[in-house]
Amino acid sequence: MISLQHIFKWVNTGSNRTFLLRDITLDIKQGEFISIMGPSGSGKSTLLNVIGMLDGFDEGIYHFLGEEVHKLKEKQRADLYKKHIGFVFQAYHLIDELTVYENIETPLLYQDIKSSERKAMVADTLDKFNIVGKKDLFPAQLSGGQQQLVGIARALITKPKLILADEPTGNLNSQQGEEVMQVFKKLNEEEGVTIIQVTHSEKNAAYASRTIELLDGRIEKQS
Amino acid sequence: MFKNYFKTAWRFLNKSRFYSLINIGGLTVGLAVGILILFWVNDELSFDGFHKNAAGIYKLENMAGTGASRQIWTNTTGSIGPMVQKELPGVKAVVRTCHNGYFSQFRLADNIFNIEKGAFTDPSLFSVFDFNLVEGNDANPFPDINSVVLTQSIAKKYFGDKPALGRLLTTEDNTSFKVSGIIKDIPKNSSIDFEVFFPMNLLAKKFYADKGGSTIENDFHYFNFDTYLVMDKGIASADFENKIRNIHLRNKADDVDVAYMLQPLSKVHLYQSDGSDKGMSTVKMFAIIAIVILLIACINYVNLSTARSMLRAKEVSLRKIVGANRLQLFFQFIVETLIIFLIAGIVSVLLVYLLMPYFNQLSGKELVASVTDPQIWKVILIAITGTLIISSIYPALLLSSFDPLKALKGKLVFKMSETLFRKVLVISQFTFSVVLIAGTFVIAKQLNYIRNKNLGFDREHVFTAPMRDMRGHYDAVKADLLKQTGITAVTWSNSTITDIGQQTGNNSWDGKEEGETLMLSPMAIDKEFINFFKIGLQSGKNFSGSPADSGHFILNETAVKSARIQDPIGKRFKLWNTEGTIIGVVKDFHFSSMKEKIRPAIFYSQPGTWGQLYIKTNTAEASKAIAAVEKKWNLYNAGFPFKYAFLDERFNDLYKTEQRTGMLFNIFSGIAIFISCLGLFGLAAYTAQVRTREIGVRKVLGASVAGIIKLLAGDFVKLVLVAIIIGTPIAWFITNKWLQDFAYKINIGWLVFVLAGLMAMGIALLTISFQSIKAAIQNPVKSLRTE
Repeated sequence: MISLQHIFKWVNTGSNRTFLLRDITLDIKQGEFISIMGPSGSGKSTLLNVIGMLDGFDEGIYHFLGEEVHKLKEKQRADLYKKHIGFVFQAYHLIDELTVYENIETPLLYQDIKSSERKAMVADTLDKFNIVGKKDLFPAQLSGGQQQLVGIARALITKPKLILADEPTGNLNSQQGEEVMQVFKKLNEEEGVTIIQVTHSEKNAAYASRTIELLDGRIEKQS
Repeated sequence: MFKNYFKTAWRFLNKSRFYSLINIGGLTVGLAVGILILFWVNDELSFDGFHKNAAGIYKLENMAGTGASRQIWTNTTGSIGPMVQKELPGVKAVVRTCHNGYFSQFRLADNIFNIEKGAFTDPSLFSVFDFNLVEGNDANPFPDINSVVLTQSIAKKYFGDKPALGRLLTTEDNTSFKVSGIIKDIPKNSSIDFEVFFPMNLLAKKFYADKGGSTIENDFHYFNFDTYLVMDKGIASADFENKIRNIHLRNKADDVDVAYMLQPLSKVHLYQSDGSDKGMSTVKMFAIIAIVILLIACINYVNLSTARSMLRAKEVSLRKIVGANRLQLFFQFIVETLIIFLIAGIVSVLLVYLLMPYFNQLSGKELVASVTDPQIWKVILIAITGTLIISSIYPALLLSSFDPLKALKGKLVFKMSETLFRKVLVISQFTFSVVLIAGTFVIAKQLNYIRNKNLGFDREHVFTAPMRDMRGHYDAVKADLLKQTGITAVTWSNSTITDIGQQTGNNSWDGKEEGETLMLSPMAIDKEFINFFKIGLQSGKNFSGSPADSGHFILNETAVKSARIQDPIGKRFKLWNTEGTIIGVVKDFHFSSMKEKIRPAIFYSQPGTWGQLYIKTNTAEASKAIAAVEKKWNLYNAGFPFKYAFLDERFNDLYKTEQRTGMLFNIFSGIAIFISCLGLFGLAAYTAQVRTREIGVRKVLGASVAGIIKLLAGDFVKLVLVAIIIGTPIAWFITNKWLQDFAYKINIGWLVFVLAGLMAMGIALLTISFQSIKAAIQNPVKSLRTE
């Protein structure tokens, strides 16, 4: 599904070149559940953003579902990720002005899906995540765990093949974190959604089938 | 989709009510004022355009005199129009009108009605112009010379709801007129503005009865007529005008300096027939002010919404990540602007209705904002869509262009060009303000200068009233009035001293060159006049009051200079048909507006003519003096209303337009500054908010309150300074141009601009300081914690 070969990414500060990613080569098959670990500044989030096509890279080859991402233009990349990838953030990143229902509905709006169909899809999702009762609340009225559930629900509504989660439990207490990981596990096992998560916690990393450890932009260890 | 856009926009506006209010408030005021001014502009531009034939109608005007005294006469003789129609092909019809100077009252049973706007006219008036008869015979509006045509509202005033057609009206000299036609009221935006129409045949008979055999058909002396020609397309040309001149010369060969001009009807209201300005520059100035005010409102909107866009960055980025493309985001923000404009638009239209009466008072117009008038909606629509387009595109583009990842991380830093753009906007707002403030000051200074300039005559405590039928009894009236306490002096002249309207070139003296024309302003006066007004006698002597005066003339200095007469006293001078001698020269005094140089003038004695009485009184006993004159008036002019005016008022009348311009400038610059400050206030509040953390850190590190205020206000002060630097030369240029209209004017001086700059700066500082101080005195621990 994903194939990264010799990916480099750097920034120039003055006359120095700082590498964010060094020679990353990685293959991920459909249906995998992967954890990326590593200390702060090791390039975890950068790698995730590169995979998610939110960020570019300077050198290397990237194939996503057979497309040569390194050759695509900005707009084509955007179309690609919008179609296949769902994002989950540490800080949830819900739209404050929208209710739970509207937040989940938003991605569908941008895909020109008919109103009746939209309603059915949102209702299904609300049901699946057990948040039907919260649908008219605004993000500020929810707990962190609930907000993150909404975030995941939003990421899943368009039925993406891949979920990218950047420290999804980072702001949650252990019980809430546990719930979120259970949701991921279920998604991965029952629906075959590929999941890549960045995490600091050994416990959460253990949910994955494979763990990749980064250090200073390099892959240190794979297991 | 749109529902979602509306919902988000509404919630966002609601959440940040402070900014929404500032934004909507500024837009509303700007739109309302802009729309009002544009109404005025539209009305001015629409003059005479409502006639079906408007494109083919020309007004015939002419020019006469040589050198400096050459000037345009908007009137012609009664003879030229019909001659042109007869002799030159392509002229389909002629309409002449002449102000009614014969009949001042209609009597109907016990009622007396003053005839305010009356005219003699050709019957063609009612078919050439869109003044068709709604009652009466279109083909023959005046069956005989004792017919009269009325407008509907005049007919209603005279006869109430009863039918007016066929009824009789009697004038003060007992002539009876039969109402032979009724027309709709003439629209306010018409140059031809009469209510009562008498047949031209009647004037031809009355006026030329005592003109020694000349008739309206052949006369080339009396320029009393407005002449309109209906012409075939493409005929009006310099060549055609020349042919008209030739007709004139064939009939009166000695008018070698005459020239004719064809003025298209659509231009009559705003241009002179030589193409020079007669109001168009004011229209342009107001149009520009309207646009400036609308622009300032747009700038506010753009500034506030882009500055605040940082707060929207997260939302925009998320929408992008979950699948929005740029176009969809663009439309979302357009919808948001639309909502704000919808609110501002509705409130401003309400405001326009509320402000209309006050605006009319100021502008001297009677605009009516009728809901059914398509013109009104045209103006409103143009103003609102124009501002909408200008102010929606940039913020929408900017917002939809965010790089989502950076925005999410909170690392969104505006590019230099974007903050620069915002700075440029603030600078332009304040540049406009500086120019308007300086303009206000200069106009006020010039008007003050005019008011206080020594006119060369004493107008204190003098009031004037027409004599009418007192004129035959002037000596008796004067003797009686002088006995009255409160009246210290009495004199008369045949035209008002503040504005001698007429001019004549019919004069000669020894040394006049062949073909030279000297236009003189003539005024008949009595022997008291010069002393009464304390006009300085430069040489020679005053009139004596004896019959010998009829052969004596007094000139002003300018007249002597223009005629190049050395030692004028005792020299020969001929005015009209009177051969006489110059007995005196008076010092120049201002007998017309300061916009004109003092013209050559001549004073002569002609007791018993129509004229104005002048009465000198004092503050305490003025009312007694007026009552005494009114008593005399009623004695000789029973049934006519008594009208009087103090010379100060007459003097102010000369500068009505300028005073109005000054007043409007005051108000408009006030509004422009108000809107600009609203925007600045919002920006300052926003800056303080964005920099809360920085302020907190600085305070923890030991910065003083004053230091923080300086930090926050400094940026804005710099912008306003730049605006002052840019605005000053522009203001200088514009005010200088305005002053060109005046022959006597102030030196602008640099103080005006310093004051304008200081004022702009002061207002800006006041606006910013509130927010800055608020931010500076906040407890740093609190501000750091919220971050």
